[in-house]
Amino acid sequence: MSRGVAYYILGRFLQSVMVLWIIVTLLFLLFRLAPSNPLASYIDTTFTKQQEAALLARFGLDKPLGEQYIIYLVNLLKLDLGDTFSYSGKTVLDILGADLPNTIYLTLTSLLLAYAVGVLGGIVMAALRGSWIERLGTTFTLMTRAAPQFWVGMLLLTFFAFQWKLLPSSGIGPPMVRYRWETEWDKLMSPVFWRHMILPTFTLALYLHGLPLLLMRSNMLEVLDQDYVTMSRLAGYSEWRVMMQTAARNAMLPVLTALTLGIGYSIGGNVVIEHVFSWPGLGRTLVRAVQQADYPLAQGAFFLIAVIIVFMNFIADIMYSLLDPRVGASAQAQVS
Amino acid sequence: MSILSIRDLKVEYATQDGAVEAVDGVSLNVAEGQHLGLIGESGCGKTTLLKAIVQVLPRNGRVSGGKIMFKGMDLMQLPAAEMRQLRWREIATIPQASMDSLNPVQRVGSQLMKLLRVRGGFDKRAARRRAVDLFDMVGLDTERLMHYPHEFSGGMKQRAVIAMALALEPSLLIADEPVTALDVIVQHQILEVLRELEEELNLTVMLITHDISVVAQVCDSVAVMYAGRIVEQAAAEPFFASPAHPYSLGLQQAFPNLARPRDVLVSIEGYPPDLREPPAGCRFAERCPFVQEACKEHDPRLEIVGDNRLAACLRTNEMDALRVQAEDPTLWQHVEVAQLVGQPPPKSPPTGQCLRDPIAMERDLNAPPLAANSVETLPLPDASDARHRDGGKGPGGGVDDILLEMRDVSKRFKIGGGLAGLLRGDKEQTVYAVNNISFTLRRGESLGLAGESGCGKSTTGKLLVKLLDASDGEIVFAGEELSGVDDKDLLAFRSRVQLMFQNPFEALNPRFTLYRSLTEPLIIHGWKDENERTQRVVETLDRVNLRPAEVFLDKYPHQLSGGQLQRVVLARALVLHPDFLVADEPVSMLDVSVRAGILNTTRRLARELGLATVYISHDLSLLQYTCDRIAIMYLGEIVEIGPSDEVINNPQHPYTQALIAAVPVPDPTVENPPLRIREGVPRPTEQFAGCPFAQRCPEVMEACLSVRPPLIADERAHQAQCHLYGEHHKSPKLNHDGAAPR
Amino acid sequence: MQQEASVRAEAPSKAAIQFRQGSAIRQLWETNLEVFQRDRMALFGLFIFAVFAIVAIFAPQIAPNNPLTPLKNNEGDWIKDAMPYWLAEPGEDEAEGYSNTFLLGTTNIGRDIYSQLIHGSRSALLVGFSAAAAVAVIGTVVGLLAGYYGGWVDAVLMRAADVAFGIPFIPFIIVISAFMDPSIWNVVVAMAVLLWRDTGRVIRSQVLVIKEQAFVSAARVSGASDLRIIFVYIAPSILPLSFLYGSFAIAWAILTEASVSFLGFSDPETISWGFMLQDAFNSLALSREAFYWIVPPGLCIMLTVMAGFFIGRGYEEVLFPRLRRM
Repeated sequence: MSRGVAYYILGRFLQSVMVLWIIVTLLFLLFRLAPSNPLASYIDTTFTKQQEAALLARFGLDKPLGEQYIIYLVNLLKLDLGDTFSYSGKTVLDILGADLPNTIYLTLTSLLLAYAVGVLGGIVMAALRGSWIERLGTTFTLMTRAAPQFWVGMLLLTFFAFQWKLLPSSGIGPPMVRYRWETEWDKLMSPVFWRHMILPTFTLALYLHGLPLLLMRSNMLEVLDQDYVTMSRLAGYSEWRVMMQTAARNAMLPVLTALTLGIGYSIGGNVVIEHVFSWPGLGRTLVRAVQQADYPLAQGAFFLIAVIIVFMNFIADIMYSLLDPRVGASAQAQVS
Repeated sequence: MSILSIRDLKVEYATQDGAVEAVDGVSLNVAEGQHLGLIGESGCGKTTLLKAIVQVLPRNGRVSGGKIMFKGMDLMQLPAAEMRQLRWREIATIPQASMDSLNPVQRVGSQLMKLLRVRGGFDKRAARRRAVDLFDMVGLDTERLMHYPHEFSGGMKQRAVIAMALALEPSLLIADEPVTALDVIVQHQILEVLRELEEELNLTVMLITHDISVVAQVCDSVAVMYAGRIVEQAAAEPFFASPAHPYSLGLQQAFPNLARPRDVLVSIEGYPPDLREPPAGCRFAERCPFVQEACKEHDPRLEIVGDNRLAACLRTNEMDALRVQAEDPTLWQHVEVAQLVGQPPPKSPPTGQCLRDPIAMERDLNAPPLAANSVETLPLPDASDARHRDGGKGPGGGVDDILLEMRDVSKRFKIGGGLAGLLRGDKEQTVYAVNNISFTLRRGESLGLAGESGCGKSTTGKLLVKLLDASDGEIVFAGEELSGVDDKDLLAFRSRVQLMFQNPFEALNPRFTLYRSLTEPLIIHGWKDENERTQRVVETLDRVNLRPAEVFLDKYPHQLSGGQLQRVVLARALVLHPDFLVADEPVSMLDVSVRAGILNTTRRLARELGLATVYISHDLSLLQYTCDRIAIMYLGEIVEIGPSDEVINNPQHPYTQALIAAVPVPDPTVENPPLRIREGVPRPTEQFAGCPFAQRCPEVMEACLSVRPPLIADERAHQAQCHLYGEHHKSPKLNHDGAAPR
Repeated sequence: MQQEASVRAEAPSKAAIQFRQGSAIRQLWETNLEVFQRDRMALFGLFIFAVFAIVAIFAPQIAPNNPLTPLKNNEGDWIKDAMPYWLAEPGEDEAEGYSNTFLLGTTNIGRDIYSQLIHGSRSALLVGFSAAAAVAVIGTVVGLLAGYYGGWVDAVLMRAADVAFGIPFIPFIIVISAFMDPSIWNVVVAMAVLLWRDTGRVIRSQVLVIKEQAFVSAARVSGASDLRIIFVYIAPSILPLSFLYGSFAIAWAILTEASVSFLGFSDPETISWGFMLQDAFNSLALSREAFYWIVPPGLCIMLTVMAGFFIGRGYEEVLFPRLRRM
């Protein structure tokens, strides 16, 4: 890795930190300057003035805004996201720490499945351009992207969970079992867990496969028009080699970036699926926190999702500059 | 014995408007060891022919008839797998735009080795050895094997593609425009590589190009294609000495020749026929000055017209006489006009007296043309525009006559800096796009700026029209210094200075009708009256020979040919009657056959309107044709400037000498001398204590490395920035192998 | 100068004057026309929108019942969970004391599902079109300014886009709805605040390309002002792109509105398809296999979203012919 690329990465990293800082500040302002007091739902009408003041003091809400902001930033840096309102005795970090792995399992499995199908499908669609199979295939893909995920989830639930009773309808395991998993590893090794994964994963993958498929298709069509592809045809490489080794490899690069970005955005966007399948992940916790006016938890969940997104955006940028030497070079030229 | 034999080949493209026969009955033989040049303008079917031979036609194309025999095999009958085996081992192709033919995300060496291993059956080590040999053969540093294509210059990419083409020792090499878009020195070097390899490997070559001088340099026989047909085939020397088809005749007269400059270049006006509805008769009839009634009914066949010569023309037996007539440039005019109003071209071409003055010739054209609604001969009101502004001083001699002066003008671009630069701890770097140049331009004078790409000539053009502001120095236009002008004066300046662009297909807003495009400048400059505006637009269109002007008003750019578009671009530049025109590569995107027409019109109008002109071009022969003076630029500096003939015939600066030596001559009997210049333009961020050209100069002396040479003038206002002609000319020569690398 | 021109009294031909009307608006109209002429699917998308628009406008006239009022039978009890009349057992309704005219049955508290479906088209189209318009307008303006002026304008706007790209969309809407009164406009505001980022970036890069084209330089050399260049030369070329992104934004807005309503963050007084599905989900319609309740709202969402996709793809076909489905 050349010096230029290293500095490019450093520059990008600092930029990501800046972006995150701005988001965090906006988040602070949103929660502090909102018309309703963040403790409004927490404070009972029976509270005395003293009790109320004590409570405000406990959450640092009696201090001037500037000071609150500093405390807030310092706490974030220490990864201290505060205490929850609604889960007694637990910190926000405890709750989110338990949720995050579940969200990640669901997201990664679905994404890998979706991108494997999508990339292959895209190549096939490009190769069959103009045929009725392509028309049918792309229409189907468009439909999966147009159908609301939760609705598809509901239909699948109706059939597989309620009508045919083949698969569980919610959660990551029966309540009893759930608490028996001592470690994440145990959970991952448990067939019960995977049985619960099937429906949400399939629903999510069905939705997610559209982007890589359509992207791969259009990239392929674009790459197939490039002179270097013509050149490999002229050089007598077999059609399979031309399609897979030259065209598909080059067409894959933007798809890989999309995958990286997709990890970030899916973790933030799984909310609906997690809600339908009662999947104990970040999204469901966020929804619950907002419904129960548990602001520290909502704020923490939002913060964590934003961090993941910004980080994945950063990774995607870096990866692209490493995968495609031209981008690296132009990035370098921008820097130098 | 012929290695490739094409019989009556037809290739058809399915389009929205029906089938188009892009190649229509082509027969061609290529003998073993022959170097055949296939010439033709864009759209004539030459690339389609190539694609048909190697069978990579696009989806909507198919061979609809004929035979392609290669070494006795019928390629059309060959199973796909066998055809694939044939490619590269037997028939290697250097595709058009070969710059983009390398996979951008793979190292060049890996691409070459993959080819050797997959297609050639080499093992890993043998492939590596062979790759090194090949790079050596085409004159590339073997370290370059590890580089990505984007790290290569254009010439290097071309060499790499040649190396790939020769990797499996094919018996036939087909090269499609191998040197187009390369700078003249690089072009010369690539042609040299090709020529050497042809001899070394005893290659059979089919070279496809629009540039007859390239063919003259590397081919021993020629085939000319027009509108999907071969119209002439001959050995190179007789072809160049005495073409046997009117189209070939025209091409030759249209092509500038640095060694034997012509007073007037001809333009084969008009454009090839619409192949969706090919004419019944000869396809060249519409543009042919020798057309007769019979030509429109009878389709001439390609027939033997002499010793090993073929031509497709009904009047081949009169060709000797026609050749004499063709020397008259007026013969080649009027056709476009006729085509536009849908009338046949003049029945009997004007013969006899030969008008040698292109201006007179063009003016002749301006005489009341055929259509009734055209404008009568225009008065010359418009030089008056300029005169009024300057208190009645007309064109004439004198110092007052200086329109524009560049005084020590520089343009720097900063790269780097900013936050990222600070992080790196790097200083920002400066690119000297234009470095301290000075020149003056009189009213009505034309100056040519020449140099390789990146030499700063286009930046200079942008400075002249104030699309960019100078970093240093002064540009004085009509007595006013440009850097301090306020908005109002700027608008006035804009009405007096115009720019003509390189690519006519981009220079006009695709969403505007031509009327809209032409009327915009008038609206901007406050012409409120619609009628007046329309009148001026019509008048200007007429003036650039787009007649009848009304026909063009509601057209969109995509409905016009390149040559017509460039005339519209010229019209837009002139619609405000400016004093000064900068033409940036005005014809480089156009077919040779119509280039001269644009240049002739521009020259005529410049003279009529008293317009000062700066032509920017990489093409010295073109500048010699159009300019009073020429300035040669290198790395942002003017290294030589002087009267055109002086600079071309008696170049002083070693760089100018190299540039001129590198221009291919459209004459196979003249061989270009080998270049002594070293390869590789330095980075534009480099700063030199001495002469910027010293690194590449064959004459380099000690002083050149440390002392910056001044511009030294001789008595004919011919200046060169070189120590050879100054006080340091006795400085010791440096030992320097001097010879150009292969 | 003008005097000089008027010396020549000869009037320009009539034909010549007509072409002055070659305005940008006509051009744009032609591009749009081309999209729908060339692409039958785009036309189909337009047709879907038209049908739903008519339904939305005349919803009170079309819907047989008030979508929010629980219906009661003769005895004054709510008609809970009535099946559609074409599925119901004959005579069941009479036994229950009402005449079953429900095309899609009733909800668990006796609201007419068919009427809800009709009224749901209102919020879908309202949100879809207003959010899309906001996204397209903001994105286009940002892209034009950033691309044309460059420098610090570009830097500020593009860093703002980076921030917008870092904010998770659905969570953002959820958090916003925690502080605002539930309303379908929350979705519109959130989309306008965040989703201009994609349009803005794409338009900016397109502007960068067009800005460098010779015809723009030509305008500048002719003395055209920045505003003239932006609005007369650049904007017409990128507007089809705004329409493209606008059409896709309609689709995303409808989907997003549905998701947010489904999660329960919408105004319970406004019927939307997402709200209907939430209602069905929460009242365990799934376990009762009440397809007549679950399927229609989802299909409506899917149809309208696909209409947006079709139109967007129509623009793609015209703008990027290489991807053309031949």
